[in-house]
Amino acid sequence: MDFSISEERKMLQETVSRFFESNYENINKRNKNVNLADGFDKKFWLEGAELGVISALISPEHGGLGGSGDDLSIIFELIGKSLCVEPFLSSGVLSSTILSSINKPKIDIINKIIEGKLLLSFAHTEMNNRYEDTYIETKASKKNDKWVVNGIKSFVLNGDSANKVIVSARIDGNTNDKKGIGIFLVDHDKITKRSYNTIDGYRAAELEFSNSSGELLARDDEALRCIIKANSAGALALSAEALGIMQICFDMTLDYLKTRKQFGKTVGSFQAIQHRMVDMMLEIEQVKSAVMLASSTFHADDITRDKHISAAKNLVGRVGKLIAEETIQMHGGIAMTWEYSAAHYAKRLIMIDHLMGDSDYHRDRFKKLTLN
Amino acid sequence: MNFEYSEKEKQFRSEVKQWLDDTLPKSLSDKVRKHQRLSKQDYQTFMTILNDKGWLATHWPTEYGGTGWNAIEKHIFEEEIIIASAPRIVPFGTIMLGPVLIEFGSEEQKKYYLPRILNGQDWWAQGYSEPGAGSDLASLKTRAVNMGDHYIVNGQKTWTTLGQHANKIFCLVKTDIESKPQSGISFLLIDMDTPGIEVKPIITLDGEHEVNEVWFTDVKVPIKNLVGKENEGWTYAKYLLTFERTGIAGVPYSKTALNHLKVISKKTFKDGKPLIEDPVFSSEIAELEIDLLAMEIFNLRTVSAASNGKAPGMESSLLKIKGTLVRQKTTELLRKAIGPQALPYLPEQFDEGWNDNPIGPDYAGLIAKQYFNMRKISIYGGSNEIQKNIVAKASFGL
Repeated sequence: MDFSISEERKMLQETVSRFFESNYENINKRNKNVNLADGFDKKFWLEGAELGVISALISPEHGGLGGSGDDLSIIFELIGKSLCVEPFLSSGVLSSTILSSINKPKIDIINKIIEGKLLLSFAHTEMNNRYEDTYIETKASKKNDKWVVNGIKSFVLNGDSANKVIVSARIDGNTNDKKGIGIFLVDHDKITKRSYNTIDGYRAAELEFSNSSGELLARDDEALRCIIKANSAGALALSAEALGIMQICFDMTLDYLKTRKQFGKTVGSFQAIQHRMVDMMLEIEQVKSAVMLASSTFHADDITRDKHISAAKNLVGRVGKLIAEETIQMHGGIAMTWEYSAAHYAKRLIMIDHLMGDSDYHRDRFKKLTLN
Repeated sequence: MNFEYSEKEKQFRSEVKQWLDDTLPKSLSDKVRKHQRLSKQDYQTFMTILNDKGWLATHWPTEYGGTGWNAIEKHIFEEEIIIASAPRIVPFGTIMLGPVLIEFGSEEQKKYYLPRILNGQDWWAQGYSEPGAGSDLASLKTRAVNMGDHYIVNGQKTWTTLGQHANKIFCLVKTDIESKPQSGISFLLIDMDTPGIEVKPIITLDGEHEVNEVWFTDVKVPIKNLVGKENEGWTYAKYLLTFERTGIAGVPYSKTALNHLKVISKKTFKDGKPLIEDPVFSSEIAELEIDLLAMEIFNLRTVSAASNGKAPGMESSLLKIKGTLVRQKTTELLRKAIGPQALPYLPEQFDEGWNDNPIGPDYAGLIAKQYFNMRKISIYGGSNEIQKNIVAKASFGL
């Protein structure tokens, strides 16, 4: 058995880590990026692309230099540590997964994603769809031999600045049917957008499709398989991101406990506090292990892949709440303030449980995949 | 045993309810219901209405213009103003300083300050916590040097709630740095307009401005603004902190949130079915309600004992711990209930007169914000860890 990562990946980790550190030196810089027109720093995004960060998320057969579960986890753990807001998830993972998983992969578009020249967004979630893969109210139909999409997609990550949007829509059947789903590629100028920041500082949009013409990418079984894979890849990326955040939260809390003095001694000298830190440490080790397992089975059969990703994402939801709440509580008032970075890490950690399936969703999915 | 309120108490409750129904401006209760940001004027409008009725100073005896209510009456009143969606009574003058002045203040101080609290001339802030003195309040460093007819104050206070509206602040200051921490502290009344005072906003993690830092540089405070005796301030501070707080468990807030949670869980769908039909989620709601039911009785037991003259001791601490955990649980389940709808945050949604369409249902925009904001309640007013220390020290004889 060997749990160490390869030399190549270690190099990737070091390079990307240095790159994020030099661009995300503090929380004020990050919060400035949040308020830029697109909700992220375009220059940094292009530099990241040039360095090969997006390429590391995509497999060689589709034009990238990585794409394994380990690659995804390494990059996203670092994204978590820096609280980076650039669209690595929406364009680099969700959209590229769809484009590479359809029967005829769109290599030309993927190449442009890798170069950072095209930004794509995956519009699947709807106002009445919690996290389900199949619950789709948006409709697609043929008009004069061309596909048009009608409906509203919600909470679409980076949906406001995407050049093209991949949208799931129902060709026929009832709202929650497994059959009759299609995925379409729609140009941004065919969509009405309302953009906003999320509470944890990311950019999202409500997208309204009104007879918006689109290219059919896949339908029925093929489409559903791609949606599930994209959502699973996203859940894995977010789990690794959460792991990075948890480690920062733990380190910051421990530092604070060592320096903050009350009653003439450091807060960390109280045994009741030490035991809580041990609980946090233990749970973070659990998350790290679950993310490693999910990464290693990312290219296994669909059921094995989804089982381990659901296990990781469920654990991340539960442990994330513990770490976020304990980080704030053990810091005290200081972690309630905007100026202190731990507050923003805690917010992101909590809100990760509201993306790509929460802990309940993934517990249920794990049950379905393992107990039947 | 009888868990029922007496006829007299029931009658009192319906009187309060009716009065609030008749008198509380709808524009105010609408703002509270929508969780819009309240202006200084909003708080003052409600407190003026209460004072006109004689119901503002619920913790003062009648001779000073208070209601003279017992613990049960106070409890009923506190519940009803929350149920009516009234703004909260700003506690710093009415509930905190008033009783200290009545107990320890000079006749001159009582005569001057108490009416000004009632008629809204003064908005008080609390100057207790400091950057280095949180849980360990007695280690405070703000220094007041006695110059004969005045003090010179230097130092910094923090977490000063609504200090941006205040024209006065009561402060714990160090007047003797030689003696052990608790014994060199004095209780000073300070005019915020005095030269050398600077108020700086602290923005909290939800983007709101509720708390402040207050800086003192060579601030001149007349000797007559000392409450009680010099170096005895810690006694008054403790009196204020342990002052009978029947509302500490926040039961009515949790009840309102629980009802809201049930309504939302019926409207929200999971996999095509109402969320309330999900066996795991509905079990979580049920267990929350079971905790809350028990806590309400625990709270009433304490309130009832207090109305018979038994000062609550460790019960206040236990209720504070459980009360904050239950209330935080309501915000957590609300957040979970709405799933991805919790993501969008439109800060302008909570401004007065905002008329745009929210993203998703109108209640969604508040929920994550509230969850994060409510992390404070297990930290402030003596963190839950400190409450546990208090209980363990007072009760176990270990």
